[in-house]
Amino acid sequence: MNQVLEWLQFVLAPQMINGLSIGVAVVLMALGLTIIFGLLDVINMAHGEFYAIGAYVAVAILGLGLSFWWALLLTPVLMAALGYVTERGLIQRVFHSKDRHTLTLLLTFGVAVVLEDVLKIIFGANPLRIESPIPGGTEMLGLFFPNYRLFVMGMGGLVIVAVWLLVFRTSLGAMVRAAAFDRYMSASLGVPVSRVYAGTFAFGVALAGVAGVLLAPIYSVFPTMGRDFVLIAFSVVIIGGMGSIKGAVLAGLLLTQIQSISSLFISPVWNDPLLFGIMVLVLMWRPQGLFGKLGHA
Amino acid sequence: MNTKLIATLVAGAALSLGAAAQTGPIRIGVVTPLSGTYAGIGQQVKWGLDMAANEINAAGGVMGRRLELIYEDEEANPAVAVQKAEKLFQVSKVDFLTGTVNSGSTLAVGQVAERNNRLIATTVSFADTITAEKCSPNVFRVNARAGMQSAALAEWMASTKPNASVFYLGPDYEMGRSTVAAFKAAAEGKGAKTVGEVFAPLDNKDYSPFFGQMRSARPSVIYTSVAGNDTVRLLTQMAEFGLSRNVQIVGASGTVTSQNLSAIGKAADGFVTGVGYTPNIDNPENKKFVGAFEAANKAKPDLYGADSYGVLFFYKAAVEKARSTDTDKVRAAMRGIQWATPQGVKTMRAGDHQAMQDMYAVRVNSGQFEIVGKVPASAAIGPDTCAKF
Repeated sequence: MNQVLEWLQFVLAPQMINGLSIGVAVVLMALGLTIIFGLLDVINMAHGEFYAIGAYVAVAILGLGLSFWWALLLTPVLMAALGYVTERGLIQRVFHSKDRHTLTLLLTFGVAVVLEDVLKIIFGANPLRIESPIPGGTEMLGLFFPNYRLFVMGMGGLVIVAVWLLVFRTSLGAMVRAAAFDRYMSASLGVPVSRVYAGTFAFGVALAGVAGVLLAPIYSVFPTMGRDFVLIAFSVVIIGGMGSIKGAVLAGLLLTQIQSISSLFISPVWNDPLLFGIMVLVLMWRPQGLFGKLGHA
Repeated sequence: MNTKLIATLVAGAALSLGAAAQTGPIRIGVVTPLSGTYAGIGQQVKWGLDMAANEINAAGGVMGRRLELIYEDEEANPAVAVQKAEKLFQVSKVDFLTGTVNSGSTLAVGQVAERNNRLIATTVSFADTITAEKCSPNVFRVNARAGMQSAALAEWMASTKPNASVFYLGPDYEMGRSTVAAFKAAAEGKGAKTVGEVFAPLDNKDYSPFFGQMRSARPSVIYTSVAGNDTVRLLTQMAEFGLSRNVQIVGASGTVTSQNLSAIGKAADGFVTGVGYTPNIDNPENKKFVGAFEAANKAKPDLYGADSYGVLFFYKAAVEKARSTDTDKVRAAMRGIQWATPQGVKTMRAGDHQAMQDMYAVRVNSGQFEIVGKVPASAAIGPDTCAKF
């Protein structure tokens, strides 16, 4: 009996807390992806690279001598501007075509490839790192947990709640949802649809940027870092239901818990096969994902 | 172009080459990556070779003949290396070839050398097989192989942490599994106890899911052979979780390098690995070498630069002993020969063509490697397992 309790406290509990901190990171990535898909109907293949640029922008801001907190504040603003320009300059040009899905997919994929090399040219291929702004750790229930990870979990939770309130509890959010639901009707009621689209894309990119800054002290910064979370973020969006914020949050937390707990029992190389196995099962049972609505776009 | 003209040209070329073979320069082919991922290593190889050739030529050459280096870019690709080596042997008629970096390139070029009846030496490749199961009578290695690096590290560990309980963490692919297996064998041979091992996927982002397992195994030493950015994440996350306290972290020679050291920062302090060369080896030859190298290239030599510098003195010593550049005579002279290098005197083992040299354990201290232990050549070399000659 004692052994079971000890196992629960010293093996399972820390594993679950670790899983939660990774889960928050995954949700932050999936959130931007699902918003851009749900409201714009664009599958943003460059989302991982926007995450990487967020981290590099933070490195550059720190290089100017400003503190990490300034980087956390300024990066989303700069990233939103980049997202706005990308939407107006590139995505709008193919958005109104009949083959919208194929064209935006190819376009954002191309953008991803270019951005990765641009980062390599500007910053070099060697890894960089941001020093953790909150060093040290906290003892909880006899366990040691890094303070910065606790901060990321809290901050991530705040961002998730703020995004939910913004989309579902403000008139701005209502305007965005209306434009996504029926753009002709919204336009005739005076919603500036094209600016709403660009703004929504910018918001999704800014979220990727926030994830980049928050996670840089934990995962280090290098040109191909965008590929790290994008695969699991895509899976989370598909399992949760394309475009569903609630689905992304729940699926993100659930999947990372499954991965962390399973890695206690099976070799961690099975993490990805496990993830995709679950995705296949969910799609067989509910093709629209856990909280998605089929045919809604 | 008509056939007569070609015939005349070929005859002319043959004549001039025949004459050159006696009095002209000794040609040395260099097949090394000058572009691509390994360009940084190729750069060190070139700096080392150029410097040695200049010194040898300034002092009167080899038996009165100058050394001439002919470079070809192998792009760290064995298929390209084979073509370039063939070209150097057949067209440029080089007497000797060196510079291969990738272990696959060294093995492939070794076969080309066998067919052309010429000799090659690698100054970089680590893979043990080159001077073991896949040894060749035409291939020599002047640098330390992976097994010697493990032996040096295991020796240091046995003396500073006797009967250590070791936890192993490697990347889950061929290199990771073979380095962990090699070091584990060396460590257990010296009395260390294995308390656990885990293989993480390559490019793993978060190592914290393994930390519970590592902590509950209560190791006194953690060995890792992850490389590149994986090392940055592993070591910083271990420091973040307080896992680096009261435990000695050791690893493969490619785990912490000048490329990722600055990103790891303080978390790299205390890391120990086994190497065959480091710029702060304390002897007059090395001080002179490092000074001249830095003056010429505005960069410190690393193990590749130092061993590439040394290989020309190895060839020079063998040719002077053989009094000829003939392959069979030079090969016989190379076996068992001793020559001076920045690392001290090296001996070429006759049985497997592996150079014997003193090995060092080095520790990272505030972003610099410092020597913490030295293992004599005889203790590090390991048995001769070459059965081909």
